[in-house]
Amino acid sequence: MSCAGIIGGAALIVASCAPLRAQADCFGDLAGREVCLPRPAQRVVTIPMPSASTFIAVDGSAQRLVGMHPSSKRAIDEGLLGRMFPQARAIDASVAGVGADGFMPNVETLALLDPDVVVQWGDRGDDIVGPLRNAGLRTALLRYGTEPLARGNLTLMADIAGKPERAKELIAWRAATIADIEKTARDIPEARRLRVVYLQRAATGLAAAGANSYYDFYIRLVGGRNAADGLAGAPSINAEQIAQWDPDVILLNGFEERLTPARIYDDEILSATRAARERRVYKMPIGGYRWDPPSQESPLTWMWLADLLYPEAFHYDLRAEIARAYRLLYGQTPSQADLDEALRMPINGEARFYDRFAASASK
Amino acid sequence: MSLLATASGDTPQKRALPRWAGALAVLALLLVAALTALCIGRFQIAPQRAIAILLSRVAPMTADWSAMDERIILLVRAPRVLLAALCGAGLAVSGAALQGVFRNPLVAPQILGVSPGAAFGGALAISLGFSGFALIGAAFAAGAVALALVGALARVEGRSDTVMLVLTGVVIGALFAALVSLLQFLADPNSSLPAIVFWLMGSFSAATWARLGIAAPGVLAGVAMLWFMRFRINVLSLGEEEARALGLPVERDRWLVFAAVALIEGAAVAVAGVVGWVGLVVPHAARLLVGCDQRALLPVSAALGASYLLLVDSLARSATAAEIPLGVITALIGAPVFAALLRQMRRKELAR
Repeated sequence: MSCAGIIGGAALIVASCAPLRAQADCFGDLAGREVCLPRPAQRVVTIPMPSASTFIAVDGSAQRLVGMHPSSKRAIDEGLLGRMFPQARAIDASVAGVGADGFMPNVETLALLDPDVVVQWGDRGDDIVGPLRNAGLRTALLRYGTEPLARGNLTLMADIAGKPERAKELIAWRAATIADIEKTARDIPEARRLRVVYLQRAATGLAAAGANSYYDFYIRLVGGRNAADGLAGAPSINAEQIAQWDPDVILLNGFEERLTPARIYDDEILSATRAARERRVYKMPIGGYRWDPPSQESPLTWMWLADLLYPEAFHYDLRAEIARAYRLLYGQTPSQADLDEALRMPINGEARFYDRFAASASK
Repeated sequence: MSLLATASGDTPQKRALPRWAGALAVLALLLVAALTALCIGRFQIAPQRAIAILLSRVAPMTADWSAMDERIILLVRAPRVLLAALCGAGLAVSGAALQGVFRNPLVAPQILGVSPGAAFGGALAISLGFSGFALIGAAFAAGAVALALVGALARVEGRSDTVMLVLTGVVIGALFAALVSLLQFLADPNSSLPAIVFWLMGSFSAATWARLGIAAPGVLAGVAMLWFMRFRINVLSLGEEEARALGLPVERDRWLVFAAVALIEGAAVAVAGVVGWVGLVVPHAARLLVGCDQRALLPVSAALGASYLLLVDSLARSATAAEIPLGVITALIGAPVFAALLRQMRRKELAR
């Protein structure tokens, strides 16, 4: 119990404690609790959306994952993960609803899956955890939204998989990428820092991600400024507000399937923003998981954005980077068609500077 | 029809002057509210420039503003101001008419089940991935279906009394509210769920001239219907037996009023989501000014409702960088104002 008091939710501390506990199959989760597994987990259920693909990446297979959230399933079917791990398509996705109460587990469905551990949100109230505990199911809780928490989640998944060294490997990649980007971004003069807006919702109404969001983190990481940093959370806004910001770059979320840059170019107001005039409107890619929120693939998001924002300063060969990352993450080599699809070449191909991601531009 | 013909030119002469002054004051309020709404917003445009841009549409002027200024005023704010005014007027007029027909000051347009119905239609469209005109059409159609259901269920042996109507409205409203909850339960938490939630709280943020063009015929037709029925609503508000004794086809007239309200409510919900409280509160304020006579109550309610929603919408879009849902503000302002009005009316009644 020496660790338990110190943990208190600090993900990095959790990360450093985890190896000590791995021996006894005990480790801390992100709610600061200790999770003990009697044997290496063979049957894992994940309810938070990004966890399913993270677990598959950390474990290197989809065999131990027996249940997941319906939204995770959709991302798997939509993205490359389903193609890289065909058995992931057959995993049960009926353990929770999808909408307003979507993280409330159906305990009896879960019990049927006989899981060794259930991964659940630790920051959305006890109501969605209580029923699991009550049914005697072992839970591991995660939290979400910042880079330290993203690393903590990787560590937690690796601990569950009994492969703590995998987390170290993936976290080292994140740290190295951040250091590399910061080295270049530091030299971008204040006057040349582009103003970026990430639209978390644009198909019906508009919503922009404000300060302290993960989007805000990586916009600033690559040397940009979040034009919407006066907002808290991701509230609804109007087109007039975007015109007032007049952003240099607009990022469209990858969640809304039908959303394409045409939404901006066809809008009478938004089409007059600098971003639209200079054709710098990009739809977020989707690889093994969506590139917008924190996931195991986040370093690729950062490189992608760095390349697009400052093409003369950053020179990541993204296709090569993705191929390398997918060997590290999934042990697989994506085809050229896979890369086109992940980068959404058909949607983004016409946008400014996007030609550098074309197959012909990669060495 | 005879009531309509005899009463139309028959305004009492002795009150003509104060009534005209009052009408002017209410109109002036509306105009000021509309101009204020046009001049404020997140995009910085000086008020004189905003007005100049507007005037330049009717008179030749030298443009000292940017293309963006012009787009913001003419494409964003102008349709939004008109839409807010139109919906505010429509909702207030429906509330006033319904409160007369039901002889109950607590009745609001929601009571007929039209807004829960329209809300379901809109939410369904969003969760199926539709936006724009498909959304509006679905909201309107579902609102009409809700009213038809209320009508069919409330009629027993060719008659529908008030209590039966209100209860049926509540039942159908609850049914559609449950369907909306079901949709929220099934919606994708990453994309359609927040869109549905925000839409349900009401907003004019998607206003365009095209949307105005869609909402305007419905709202205007409904308001016109109610205006032509102002005398009949006066008679209906005497009570069912009295109205029947006066030779009014109570059943038919009542349904004409409901149809008009459904038209207004369906169109308003379709373009702006569910905006509560306007139809309930504004008629009370108007009644305090001009009394219960629908001939004065309807136009004053319309002007006050339009001004009120203009004020609320201006706050919603310019108080913070984020859009505040209309329903939040209408309720936050509406509830205390309503309480104050109720107390004042009660005091008046006691003093009499």
